Amino acid sequence: MENNYIEKIQIHRKNRIAGLYPSAKGFIVLAYSISTFILGTFHLTDMRLDLLLIPWFFVIPVLCIISGVLAKSMKAMKAVATVSAIIFAAQLFLIPGGKVLWSFGFLKIYVYGLRSAIRLSFLVLDVAGIFVWLFQTTSNKELSRAMEDSGMNYKAAYVFMSSLQMIDILGKNSKSIMNAQRARGVETEGNLIIRAKAFFPSLVPLILGAIIGSEERVLTLEARGFSMQCQKTHLFKLDHSGLEKPAVILSTLITSALLAGRVIWGIMR
Amino acid sequence: MEKKKYSIKTDFTMLAILLIPIGVAVNFVGGQLASILKLPMYLDTIGTIFAALLCGPWVGAVTGALTNVLTGIANPVNFAFIPVNIIAGLVTGFLARKGMFSIWWKWILSMLIMAAVSIISSAPIVVLVFGGVTGSGTSLITAAAMAAGANIWAAFFGTEGIFTVLDRVISFVICWMVMKVIPARTLVKFPIGSNYLHKKSQTK
Amino acid sequence: MGDYAIECKNVTYTYPLAENPAIQDLSAGFEKGGFYGIIGENGAGKTTLCVILRGFAPDFYKGELTGQVLVEGKTIPEYKTELAAKIGYVFQNPFNQISGVKETVFEEVSYGLENFGVPVDEIEERVINVMQMTDIEELAYKSPFELSGGQMQRVALASVIVLEPDILIIDEPTSQLDPEGTDSVFRIIRELKEKKKTIILVEHKVDLIAEYADEVLVLKNGKLIAQGKPEDILSDMSLPEQGVALPQVAVLGNMLRQKGFPIDRIPITEKQAAEEFQKAMSRRSGRP
Repeated sequence: MENNYIEKIQIHRKNRIAGLYPSAKGFIVLAYSISTFILGTFHLTDMRLDLLLIPWFFVIPVLCIISGVLAKSMKAMKAVATVSAIIFAAQLFLIPGGKVLWSFGFLKIYVYGLRSAIRLSFLVLDVAGIFVWLFQTTSNKELSRAMEDSGMNYKAAYVFMSSLQMIDILGKNSKSIMNAQRARGVETEGNLIIRAKAFFPSLVPLILGAIIGSEERVLTLEARGFSMQCQKTHLFKLDHSGLEKPAVILSTLITSALLAGRVIWGIMR
Repeated sequence: MEKKKYSIKTDFTMLAILLIPIGVAVNFVGGQLASILKLPMYLDTIGTIFAALLCGPWVGAVTGALTNVLTGIANPVNFAFIPVNIIAGLVTGFLARKGMFSIWWKWILSMLIMAAVSIISSAPIVVLVFGGVTGSGTSLITAAAMAAGANIWAAFFGTEGIFTVLDRVISFVICWMVMKVIPARTLVKFPIGSNYLHKKSQTK
Repeated sequence: MGDYAIECKNVTYTYPLAENPAIQDLSAGFEKGGFYGIIGENGAGKTTLCVILRGFAPDFYKGELTGQVLVEGKTIPEYKTELAAKIGYVFQNPFNQISGVKETVFEEVSYGLENFGVPVDEIEERVINVMQMTDIEELAYKSPFELSGGQMQRVALASVIVLEPDILIIDEPTSQLDPEGTDSVFRIIRELKEKKKTIILVEHKVDLIAEYADEVLVLKNGKLIAQGKPEDILSDMSLPEQGVALPQVAVLGNMLRQKGFPIDRIPITEKQAAEEFQKAMSRRSGRP
C-alpha cells in the first residue's frame, strides 16, 4: 500500500523560519506589535515625531526575505502600503495645529499634521505588515490545525475553516448570479439608484440558497460523526522546524531591550 | 406565548454554527458586490444582521467579529473595526429576541437604532485611530469635508453618518426579502426563527 | 424471515406547523441485507420516510412522531450519536454533502473516520479501498468544490461508505445528475448490494429498482399503498394512476398484451423483456 496520500497532504516547508510552528509565529507577531507600540512612544526632535516607527517597518521585508516569501507578499504589502499612504497624505494635509511647515497655495502642512501622519500611517503599516508576513507563511489548513491544537473547540475551528471556504464559494456564485441577472436585463450601470437596485436580485438568491443548503449540511456533518464525543484523529500534522525556541527567545529579548531602552530614555529626559 | 429562555448554549445549535460561515461569506460578498457596483457603502454587515436575526446576539456577534478577523488578513485596517461589527451583531440580536422585527414599523425603528449604534461605535475608532481617514471610499469624502474646513467629528457624522444609514437600510431590506422567502419549515429550525413566520402560511 | 435492520410500526409523523401528517400509520420492516426500493409521486412522503428511518425526524426536523422506529431492535434515542456508524445516508444534492473544511477529496472522504477516532493507518487503507470502489481515485487531490455533480455525488457516497455502515439510506441520488453521473452512481449501488448491505433507495428511475430490488414500497399521500416483489408491483397497471412511473418495458409489455400478444408475465427489466417477447412471438407463430 503506497503511503503516498497522507504524505502528499502534509505541508513541509523547507525554509525554517516560514516553517516555524504556528504558535511561535504568533509569538513573533505579538512581540513585534508590542515593540511597535513601545517605539511609538519615542517622540523625537522638537516636533515630537515618532520617527522610530519608520526603520522598524523594514524588519518586515527582512523577515519576508529570510522566510523566502518576499515575492508572494508583494501584492498584500502593496495593498497595505496604499492604505497607509492614503492615511499619510490625508493626515499630512488635513490636520491643523502648530507651526506651518510648508505651504503652497491653499495646501498647508502643519506640525500636528506631520506628527499624526507619521504616527498613524506607520502604525498601520507596521502592524498590518507583520500580519502579512504571518499569513503569507501559514496556510489556512495550518492555522486551523494550530487553533485546534491549542485547545480551541473543534467546532470553532470548523467555523473558521468553513468561513474561508464559503467566502471562496459564495464569491464565485455571486459573480455567476450577477451575470445571469445582467443577461436577464438587470441594469448594473447607470445612476446610483439603478446600481443599488441591481444589488438585490444578485444577493437574495445567493443567501437563500446558502441557508437552505445548510440544513442538509448539518445532517451530513452529523452523519460523519461531527458531534461524536470521542478522541479524534488527524491526518494532517503540524511541523516543528526546530528554530522555535531561538525565535521566541530572540523576540523576547528584542522587545524587552526596547522596553528597557524606553524606560531609561524616559528617566534621562 | 410563553417567554422563551435564552442562553448562549441554546443559541449555538449546529445550524447556527453552520450559519456563521455563510454570514461571514455574505458579508464579504456584499462588500465585493458593493464595490463592483461602485456603491458608496460598505454593505458588509448583511450577513451579521441576518445571523443575528435568526440566531440571536451572540451568533451575530461572532459572525461580525470573524468577518473582520478574516478580511483583516487582506487589509489589516479591518481589525480595528471588530468592535463595531460585534456591537452590530449584539444589538440586532437583542432587538430580534425582543420581537422587534415582527411588524414593518418595528423593522424601521430597529433599523434606525442599528444605524445610530453603528455610527456611534465606529466614530471613535475612525476619528481617534485613523484621524478620520481609513483609506476607504467614504472616508475620502470625509477627508474632502475636512479639507473644506469642517471639524473632524462633523465631517465624519455628516458623511459616514448618512452613508451608514443608507447602508443599514439596504442591508435590512435584503434581510427582510430573504426572510419572506425562506420556507416556514426552515425558519422554525433557527432559535429565533419562529418570530418571522408569516401568519398566512399554515401548511408546509 | 430474517431479522430486521430497521422496522417501523404504525408511524405517523407531522412536520411542525403542518396541518396534515406527512406519513400516516406506516408499518414496514426492512430485513438485513435486503434491497428496498421506495417509489411514489412527488410529495408522497418518500424523503420524509427516509429521514424518519434515519432518526433525523423528529430530532432535527422537530414535528410530532407517534409509533415506533427500531434499528436492529433498539429505539433511535438509545443510539445517541452512534447511529452514524450504523446507518449511512446520501442526499439528493451533492453540493450540500461536502463538509466544507477539507481541501482535497482524499481528506474529505477521511473526514468521518477522523471524527470517529480511527487510527491514521487504518484511515488510509479504508479510504483507498473506497476510492477505488467509487472510481474517484484520480480525483484524490482535487478540491471537492471543483468537481462535477456526478463526481461530487460519488465523493459523498464514498464518504459515507467508508464508515462501513450496515444500512444505507439513499434518497434520489441521481436526480441532479446527467446520464453519465447516474450510471456511475448506479454501479456503486450495485456493488453495495453485492456486499450484502441493507439498502433503502428512493428513486424515480424505476429501471434500477426493477433490476436490483428485493422488495418495492409504494407511497402516496403519506400512506403505504403497495408493497411487494418488483415483478408484482412494477407490472401493476393501476399504479400509474397513483402517480408512479412504471418501467418502459412493463408499459410496452402491457400494451402488447392488450393487442393480443400472448405475454406470459409482464417484464420489468430489459432482459426479461427480451425473453418474454421472444417467447410470445414463438407462441404466436405456433412454435413451441
